[in-house]
Amino acid sequence: MGENFLEIRGLDKFFGPTHANRGIDLTVKRGEIHGLIGENGSGKSTLLSQIAGLYRRDGGEMFVDGEPYDPHSPIDANRRRISMVMQELGVVGNLPAGVNVYLGRTGQFSKFGIINMRKMRREAAGQFEKWGLDAPPLGQMTDGMMIESRKMIELARALSVDPELLLLDEVTQSLSLNNRNKLYELIRRFKDMGRSVLVITHDIDEMVEITDTITVLRDGQVIGTVDSRKTTPDEIRMMMVGRELSGDYYRADNAPSYEDEVVLEVSGVSVPGELEDVSFELHRGEILGFCGLSDSGIHAVGKAVYGLSKRSAGDVYLKANDAHIVNPTQAMQSNMGYVPKDRDNEALMIHASIRDNFCLPSLTELKGAAGFLNPKKLGKLAGEMRDKLSVKCTGIFQPMDALSGGNKQKVNLGRWLAKDLKLLILDCPTRGVDVGVKAYIYSLMNEAKRQGIATILISDELTEVLGMADRLMVMKDGKVTKTIDRGPDFTEQSVIGVMI
Amino acid sequence: MKRIKVSDIVPFAAFIVLFVFFTIVSKGKMVSAYSLKMLLEQSILTIITACGVLFVVAQGSIDLSVGVNVALSGVVGMHIATVTGQGWLMIPCSMVIGLIVGLFNGVIVSKCHVPSFTLSIAMLIGVRGVVNYIQTIIGIEYIPESMLFVTTSTFRIIAFIVIALIVLFVFEFTRVGRYSQAIGENETTARFVGIPVDKMKILVFAIAGLMAGIGAVFSMATVGGTTMTMGAFLEMKVAMAIFFGGVLVTGGSSARFYKVILGSLSITVIVYGLSLIGMSDSQISESVEGGLLLIILFITILTNRHRASRKKAAEAEE
Repeated sequence: MGENFLEIRGLDKFFGPTHANRGIDLTVKRGEIHGLIGENGSGKSTLLSQIAGLYRRDGGEMFVDGEPYDPHSPIDANRRRISMVMQELGVVGNLPAGVNVYLGRTGQFSKFGIINMRKMRREAAGQFEKWGLDAPPLGQMTDGMMIESRKMIELARALSVDPELLLLDEVTQSLSLNNRNKLYELIRRFKDMGRSVLVITHDIDEMVEITDTITVLRDGQVIGTVDSRKTTPDEIRMMMVGRELSGDYYRADNAPSYEDEVVLEVSGVSVPGELEDVSFELHRGEILGFCGLSDSGIHAVGKAVYGLSKRSAGDVYLKANDAHIVNPTQAMQSNMGYVPKDRDNEALMIHASIRDNFCLPSLTELKGAAGFLNPKKLGKLAGEMRDKLSVKCTGIFQPMDALSGGNKQKVNLGRWLAKDLKLLILDCPTRGVDVGVKAYIYSLMNEAKRQGIATILISDELTEVLGMADRLMVMKDGKVTKTIDRGPDFTEQSVIGVMI
Repeated sequence: MKRIKVSDIVPFAAFIVLFVFFTIVSKGKMVSAYSLKMLLEQSILTIITACGVLFVVAQGSIDLSVGVNVALSGVVGMHIATVTGQGWLMIPCSMVIGLIVGLFNGVIVSKCHVPSFTLSIAMLIGVRGVVNYIQTIIGIEYIPESMLFVTTSTFRIIAFIVIALIVLFVFEFTRVGRYSQAIGENETTARFVGIPVDKMKILVFAIAGLMAGIGAVFSMATVGGTTMTMGAFLEMKVAMAIFFGGVLVTGGSSARFYKVILGSLSITVIVYGLSLIGMSDSQISESVEGGLLLIILFITILTNRHRASRKKAAEAEE
C-alpha cells in the first residue's frame, strides 16, 4: 500500500460544448482530509461525480492504490471502497429510511426474494450507531422528513460500504450545528483510521478548519493546492475568484439601527409540535435574526408568520397594512415576501421559465383591466430584475433548471424585491451559493434595510446572523430563550451557550 | 429570444403530417370546402369541453367526468325547457347544471383531498347511471322550435369562436391560467408563494363543469336534441386531444391553449379521414386512433427526455 490512495492525472470531462473539467491533477493521500473549493460552475461536483462513478471520464487516468481505476457505476466505485454523499437530495421519498440506507444493495437481506425488513432496519441503525450519528426513525417514509434527516440517511448509506475514501458534496450546509459537529467528529475518526475524505463546501472558514489540504478549482482547472494550516480564508477567496474581494462581507456597524415604527407584531403564537408562545415586534428597516438548532422551531417561525401553518393560538398582525395574517394568500397581498429554505422544492418552479418564476408573486400587481396580464409587462419585469441582479442566463424564457444554484437563488430572492415590500422573511437565503453570490445577497439585504423593509433572517449559519442582524432571538424547543441586541454581546459564544 | 423547444413542435408536426397523409390517401377530398367545414364542426364539441379540462390538467389533475356531465346537463336542461315551455331555458339551465357538477368535483378534490382521477371515475360511472335512469323515464327530447337557430352552422361556429376567444384570454392572459400552471409545476411552491391553491382547485373544476354544460348545448345543437349516447366516450376524446396536443400529464407550463386546438383537430382529422377513405367501421377507426395516440405520446415523452438530459448536463457543470 502506497502513501497515495487516489491519484488523478489529466482528467477531462465535457458536457456538449462545455469543458467542465480540464486536465485535472489531484492526489488524495491515505489519512488525508482534502477540501475542494471553487465558485458555482467551477467543476467541483463534476470531478467528485467522476470519482464516484456517476459520470465516465472523457480523458485522463485515475488510480486507486496504484491500480487503474475506471468506475462505471456508483456500485462499482463502492467495490473499491469509495462512496459519495451528493449535493442534491438522493433519497427515494416513498421508501422507509432504513431501506434508503441499503438502496440498491437490499439483496443481502433477502431470502427467496423476500426482504427481511427488520434485519435491514437493525443493520441500518447499527450504521448510525457505529459512526456516532443520531438515527432518524428508520421505519418512517423519508418523504415527510426534514432535509437534515434525509441528508443523514444518505450519509449512513455512504458509510455502509465501509469506505476508504468518502466524498462529501456540500453536506454541512443542510445540517444544523449539532449534526455538523458530529460530522466533523466522523471526519476526524476517518483520519485516525488512516482513511481519506474529499469534501466540498462553500464555507471557507469551515474548510480551513477541518481539512489538511485544499485544492482550489476555477473554470474546470486546478488553480492550486495549499496546506490548510498555512493559508487564510482571504487567500483562498482570492484564488477562487481570481481577484481580491473587498473586505465588507457582512455589516460593518456594531450597533442596532432601525426606525421606531413597528411593522409587525407577533403575539403569543403557538403551533402544535412546533412553536410555543412566540412573541416579538419588528421595526421598519430592522433585520431580526433567528438562530437555534434545526428542530428548535426557527424555520417554523417563518412559516407561521407567512400564514402557512395552522396556529392553535396567537396573532400575527402586520401593523403597516393593518392586516391580521391568517393565510399565505393574504400575506402575499399584504406586501410580505417569503423565501423558503428548500429552494428547488418549496420556492421555485424548476421546469418553468425564468420569467414565470420572477412574475409569480407579482401577478396581482401586474394585472390590468379585466384581469389582463400583458405579456409585455411580464417580460419587462423579468428583464429588469434579471439585469438588476445580473442573473446569468441565455434569456428570460430559459427554463429555471438550466441555472446554477447561485443564479436560482437570485431569482428566488429577486422576485420578492420586485414588489413593494414591507416585510421579507428569509429562511437560509445563502444555502448552497458561492461566496460571490453570498456577498451579493448580503448587499441586497442591506439595500432592503435602507429602503425600510423589515427582514426576518432565519439561518443555520450563526456567523451570518451575527454578521447581518440588528437583533437576534435564540430558540430552543419551539420557545424563544434569549433576545440579544447587536453590540458587544453579539458573539458566537454567548449564543451557542443558550442554543444547546 | 424565446427559443423554440422540440417538444413544442410535435403537435404542429403531428397535425400537418396527419392532414397531408389523409389528403393524399383520400385523393384530395380532405381539402374541399365541405370537408374543412365538417372538420371544424366535428371538432367543436371536443374543443369546447377540452378547453375546460385544460385548466384542470394545467394543475396536474384530470377530470374524466365531463362526458357524463355533458349528458346530465343536456338532458336535465332540455327537460326543464320542455316542461316549462320556455325554450331559451335550455342554455342557462344546462350551463348551471354543468357548473354545479363541476363545483361538486372541485370541493371534493380540494377539501377532501381525493385524487381527481379516482373521483372523476366514480362520477363517470355514478352520474351515467343517473342519466340513464332519467332518460328511461323522460325519453329523448327535441330542441323546441323557438330555439332551432342554435342548430345552424353559422350560429354554432360564431358561438364557438367567441367562447374559444374567451377561454384563450382567461387561460393565457389572466391569473387563473398562470396560477393553475404554477400549481401544476409545483403545488408546494404555489402554496408557499401565497397562491390560493384550494380555491383555484375548486375554480378549475367549476370551469370544466361550466364548459361541459356549454358543450351539452353544442352537442344537442348538432343532432337536434338529446340522445341516449350523449357525451359517451367524450372524456376520453378530450383527454386524448389534450395529451395529443403535447400537454404533459403533470400540467404546468406545458399546458397551452393552442395545444388543445391542435390536438382536437388532429383527432378529428383521424376520425374524419378514416371515414373519407371508407374505413368508418368504428372498431378499426378506434384502434387506429389508439395506435396513433401511442405514437404521439411516445414522441412527446422522447423529446421531453431530451430536455431532461440537457438539464442533467447543466447541473453537473456546477
